[in-house]
Amino acid sequence: MRKKRLPDVVLYIMKHLNLMILLYISTLLVYCLNGYIHEKSAQQFLNTAKIIPLEPWKAIIVPVGLYVCLLLLMSIRAERNVELYLKTIVEVVICGFLFTSLNYSYSGFVLLVLANAIRRVSDSKSRIVVITVTFLSYILFDYNVLSILNIRIMPAETVLAYYQGTAMSLILAILDMLKIANIFLFIGYMFVLIMDQISQTRLVLELNDELAEKNTQLIDMNAELEEATKTKERNRLAREIHDTLGHTLTGIITGVDACAMIIDIAPDVAKQQLNAIADIARGGIKDVRRSVNALRPDVLEKKDLFEALQEMVESTRKSTGVEMNFACCAALDCFNQDEEDVIYRIVQEGTTNAIRHGKATRVDIKIERNFDTLWIEIRDNGIGCTDVKKGFGIHHMEERLKMLNGALEYDGSNGFWIKAELPIRWGE
Amino acid sequence: MLNVSKSTKIKWTVFGIIMILVALIGSGKMQQMIRKQEKVITIGVFSDSYWNVQNGYSYKIVDDAIEVFEKDHPDYRVEYVSGIMKEDYGEWLAEGLMQGTEPDLFFILGDEFNHLSQMNALKDLSSLIDRDDSFDSSKFYQSAYEYGENQGVQYALPFECAPKLMLVNESILKAEGVELPEEEWTWKDFLEICQKVTKDLDGNGIPDQFGVVGYSWEDAFYTNGIQIFDEDGAKCNLQGSEVLESLSYLEELNALNEKQTVTERDFNLGRVVFMPMLFSEYRAYKSYPLSVKKYSGFEWGCTTMPAGESGQNLSVLDTLMIGMSSRTAHEKEAWDLMKILTTDQNIQSEIFVYSEGISAQKDVTESDKADRYLRKNGNETAPMNKDVLSKVMEEAIVIPRFDDYDEAVRKVSDAVDTILNGDSNIEMEMIIQNRNINRYLQEK
Repeated sequence: MRKKRLPDVVLYIMKHLNLMILLYISTLLVYCLNGYIHEKSAQQFLNTAKIIPLEPWKAIIVPVGLYVCLLLLMSIRAERNVELYLKTIVEVVICGFLFTSLNYSYSGFVLLVLANAIRRVSDSKSRIVVITVTFLSYILFDYNVLSILNIRIMPAETVLAYYQGTAMSLILAILDMLKIANIFLFIGYMFVLIMDQISQTRLVLELNDELAEKNTQLIDMNAELEEATKTKERNRLAREIHDTLGHTLTGIITGVDACAMIIDIAPDVAKQQLNAIADIARGGIKDVRRSVNALRPDVLEKKDLFEALQEMVESTRKSTGVEMNFACCAALDCFNQDEEDVIYRIVQEGTTNAIRHGKATRVDIKIERNFDTLWIEIRDNGIGCTDVKKGFGIHHMEERLKMLNGALEYDGSNGFWIKAELPIRWGE
Repeated sequence: MLNVSKSTKIKWTVFGIIMILVALIGSGKMQQMIRKQEKVITIGVFSDSYWNVQNGYSYKIVDDAIEVFEKDHPDYRVEYVSGIMKEDYGEWLAEGLMQGTEPDLFFILGDEFNHLSQMNALKDLSSLIDRDDSFDSSKFYQSAYEYGENQGVQYALPFECAPKLMLVNESILKAEGVELPEEEWTWKDFLEICQKVTKDLDGNGIPDQFGVVGYSWEDAFYTNGIQIFDEDGAKCNLQGSEVLESLSYLEELNALNEKQTVTERDFNLGRVVFMPMLFSEYRAYKSYPLSVKKYSGFEWGCTTMPAGESGQNLSVLDTLMIGMSSRTAHEKEAWDLMKILTTDQNIQSEIFVYSEGISAQKDVTESDKADRYLRKNGNETAPMNKDVLSKVMEEAIVIPRFDDYDEAVRKVSDAVDTILNGDSNIEMEMIIQNRNINRYLQEK
């Protein structure tokens, strides 16, 4: 339901006031006409009236019926201008009949018609037409104006003369008050309507300003966002290249170094080793492709996290000959994609660091769960590092973990040790 | 208009239905349609005589007419409310008009015709008259027929009428050796006779036998060719030589009585020669047992009104008419009944038997049957002269009537009194009074 606005309320009151006036006049007319008949002064009345009035019972039914028709017609919405004009003319004609049926004593219905029509009018041309038609008829619907036209008509006062003296004055005074009330309501209605339109216009203007401001903000923010996205993406790409290509190339270099040493002693083993290196290189290419595509670990696309980790450990062992111990004491099948990515990358990065920087020969990887935290521990027997420089590796690991509200601990005094803590999001 | 919503359609339909209902109720068509179903025609009559004479035959003519009508229209019934006195009839009819229950046909008293026709209570009969070949308006006396006309529209038909006649005490005329005046007599003859008969019989110095009683300014004006008001009552014509003649004549007549007030009683006592009287009163006096005694002391007759220098032997006509309600549902049948009442020879002949007026139909009034009846039932000493009656009827005049005619007449009457009783110059007084009355007519 549309909220009732003030003009609607005033129009509603106007309709009721007009009904009241109509009933007031017609009841009085009926009472007077019956009075003449019962007091045997019908002949005297007719001689002064010089016109046969409506039968008493009709004098109330006809105006009420006409008023109902008027209200019905007023509630019908005209779509086109022609319809609006026709409708207004018919309404004015009904007002004329009402005016006649009330013995030319009240024509305020025209104001009601105007008040109703003016709301439905949108363009100024038809507004002028409607106002002209209604105001002309308002002027015409007056006993004194009509009596100029020399039409034989009987004013309500002739009938109401049944009452005399003070009673008559009182009746006419009340009628005048009601008429004035109607005019005031009409003026009030127009005022409220204009105020309503002004405030609506103001509202629209305000909204317009606000919208323009928001638009500018949006454009600015868009630019910022674009910049931020670019930076973020650049960082990510750098990380990806470091993670994937760095890891693969480290594996290859280590493997090829080993091959160079053993190629003369054990060519077969070297051959095997070379094959393993080739596999790593292929995996690296795949990784690069994947990075370009979806920038996510390819193994994770096809396999679950545990299998992917196992495969990574296996392939590293094969390619580098480093002793790899992988112990996983937690279920890894309930992580989201971003978490899986992070876990995979940490293990990958940790292993790569151990082999590349620590020259380790043994790496222990342990994944376990402690309540709602996942612990990833990677320890190697390499040279360690007393002054840990935050190279790309550590820095990226920290960044990734931070995004998931995790944390990273590391220590390079005895070999190298890192421990990542990742809060588990899924609900128990 | 193509995609009008359902609720709009319903609203239009309800609007149309209520509008049609209101139109039908408001215009009275609804009641007409209902009444059309019941084949009953109502007629408004009053129980006593229009001529203020109790004769016990008030409904006789109407009953006979209804019988004739019902023979022609076996599926129709005619009803009337009996027992309404003439003095209540106007009020009864007015109440009917206000409540929409007025009869289809009703008798119209002469002085109410104007009001009724002006408030559109009466149907315009012109189209009915034009369509009906059997109806011949020339069979009516012209003046009686015109009585039912207002502003050129025929609203009613005359049922019976009574012209004004001059009653003559023939005993005095014989005693004074004066001839009974001819029908074409003049003011001069009238004044001469009056002068001759006004006498002091008992020798007390005051005249006790007079020429005329009840001769009004209206009688003088009409017989001198004056039309006091114009057709629509907007102008009074109390000026010119004819009016001056009439006023001088009235002054001369009044002067004969030497300031003695002559009354109708003096006529009844046989001391006055002339008295203007409606034909109906004349007939009533003859048939009414009390009145026979009243006039038994002398012989009397009647004649036309004397003609003025510029006028004729005219007399004013009073007519009882029948009109049709403008809202009748049975126009055709009511018209048939109206014709039976006003033009049927047998029904109209009954007026001479059961009423005191005369038929407005020439054939009926001038028939031998009517003549025989008038002679047989008339006063032996003063038989009604058919020729006099015919002449009076042919030359009777209809005074234009308008709103507040009675009040206007009263004003003229006062003016005439002022002029006649005043000492000032008649012509000057006429101008003043004429201006006063004209002002009244303009303002009303």
